Amino acid sequence: MNLRSLVWKELRERPWSVVSSSMAILLGVAALVAIRHVTVHSEQEVSRQLSSLGANILILPKDASLQNYYAADRNGQTLPEEHVTEVLMAGLAGVEKVTPKLSMPASLGGLEVTLTGILPQSEFTAQQAWQTAALFTPKKHDGCKKASHEPSEADKTPESLNTTRAIENLEKNQIVLGADVAERSAFSDGDTVELLGGTFIVLGTLTRTGTVDDSRVFAHLHTVQELAKSGEVVSAIEVIGCCEDAAGDLVPELSKLLPNARVVTVSQVVQTQVGVNRLMSGTSLFVLGTLVLVGGASLASAIAANVRERRREIGTLMAIGATPGFVQRLFLMKALVLGLVAGSIGCVIGLLTAVMIGPQWAGVVVLPLPGLAVMAVGAATLLAVMAAYWPARQAAKLDPCLCFQEV
Amino acid sequence: MIRLENVKRTYTRHGQTVTALQCENLCISAGEYVAVIGPSGSGKSTLLSLLGGMLSPSSGRIWLDDMSVYEQPLTARATMRRERMGFVFQTFNLIPYLTALENVQVPLGLNGVSLPDQTAMATAMLQRFGLADRLKHKPSEMSVGQQQRVALARTLVNDPQIILADEPTGNLDPTSREVVLKAFDMCHEEGRTIITVTHDVTAAARAKRRLVLNEGQISEESSCWAKVA
Repeated sequence: MNLRSLVWKELRERPWSVVSSSMAILLGVAALVAIRHVTVHSEQEVSRQLSSLGANILILPKDASLQNYYAADRNGQTLPEEHVTEVLMAGLAGVEKVTPKLSMPASLGGLEVTLTGILPQSEFTAQQAWQTAALFTPKKHDGCKKASHEPSEADKTPESLNTTRAIENLEKNQIVLGADVAERSAFSDGDTVELLGGTFIVLGTLTRTGTVDDSRVFAHLHTVQELAKSGEVVSAIEVIGCCEDAAGDLVPELSKLLPNARVVTVSQVVQTQVGVNRLMSGTSLFVLGTLVLVGGASLASAIAANVRERRREIGTLMAIGATPGFVQRLFLMKALVLGLVAGSIGCVIGLLTAVMIGPQWAGVVVLPLPGLAVMAVGAATLLAVMAAYWPARQAAKLDPCLCFQEV
Repeated sequence: MIRLENVKRTYTRHGQTVTALQCENLCISAGEYVAVIGPSGSGKSTLLSLLGGMLSPSSGRIWLDDMSVYEQPLTARATMRRERMGFVFQTFNLIPYLTALENVQVPLGLNGVSLPDQTAMATAMLQRFGLADRLKHKPSEMSVGQQQRVALARTLVNDPQIILADEPTGNLDPTSREVVLKAFDMCHEEGRTIITVTHDVTAAARAKRRLVLNEGQISEESSCWAKVA
């Protein structure tokens, strides 16, 4: 017979008391796990949708408009290229990718095209200072990836310009042709072409997107700046921001950082889902608060009642040699078991609920998140132990002479 | 040896100070069998609590051999009870959700005895009290006599030098009472110190020394109890 067996046998003796005292924690954890699972997957879905849309935040010259951007305004104002460094060094939460662009008119074999200078992602990787800034970028929520310029497999092909608005590698003498340009100019991969007085090799051609990009020719930003003699400027900086940040905090933060630029967001398309995510995040905070208050209070009251009804048993244990510490541990361990069991069952119920309701509720497929599950069970256990601390202390302070009394 | 030196225990109730126990000097030698007799409210439970290191005196000292009990910290007093004392209660105080065997295992577990040894020692002790067939029974499934025997087994399983008993026969039928008293006789023969608080004339008569407790004052046996003895 030891502390563990005493706790276990007492719990087995009063199964209904166990259920009622831990019900609030169980339900709280179930609700929290369900909501958080749906929220996280919904955030990931928003993030994925935004990524598929391309840049969702644009940094434009002060007087430029979205119209100028979409029209690939070739005679518009420019921004200093150093704004790119400023954005990266600021380490703002939610910045996933930054792609500066400089557009100019050019002629390709007699065909009028828009030559767009872009900075390949490998240039970011080469800049240690930028990497460090990116590493320390705080992660705001689970649905978003930490800002990073680590190349993905998709980034390594020219087609990534269509999908992620960025390309991993682009030599200073290479170009990528938009679908329309490729079709009309009849140039293809490996061809050598003349542009703005420079000689380039066609690295690849893009598939049709139905956007202004179809009529663009992409080259290295610094080559375009050199050939156009524009200096270190860009027409726009495209920022791929993370879901909620793109729709919320990031835009004002960027505006504050770059007061001489205009920061606009194009993420309205996912505003509704971002709104739902925010609502669910708020709800999960509310449930967390309820769990702490109701679950904690309910368990504390159950343990306090348990202490009261076991006063003589506690006195007897002390009379036969149990220390106050042993008595305190007896109740804390009981709370720990209750928290662990209620948390685990609640977690499973919450998970099943999320998997079932996720597709209907938020239109996302929900998969279990082990980290979140472990955190929920851990939090429930910690809450239970904290809630039981005071009654357990009171039990340890009980007078052992109670063993002689009729209670 | 247990020695009470100018011990006084008072309680304050509704602004009034009540003396529950007062004792100038009392010595109980090792191996003595002492009965404390007195009416309800005379301070018998207070005396047992004081002797058991569970209730500090308002003034004075209680010595156990050369150790001043209340100058020890709480944990040391708990260890003292665990290793040197055994308690017998009027209402047995068995833990209701444990079986007879498990109840007897509790003090062993508190003393750090391994589980297999606990089982072996508790089983042997219950067999000694004729409860070999009640090992898996819970208190509610046993008669009061059986419950008191389980309580006795729990008291003795740690081999205590001192047994403190609070009305040990108060709730028992004559047969069960005899079992308990015989157990005390046996403990006395084994050299243990027994201090029993009782109303029971027969139980008090079995003790070798009797103390009378009246309104908190302890005195040696009165003549009427001597006649019973």
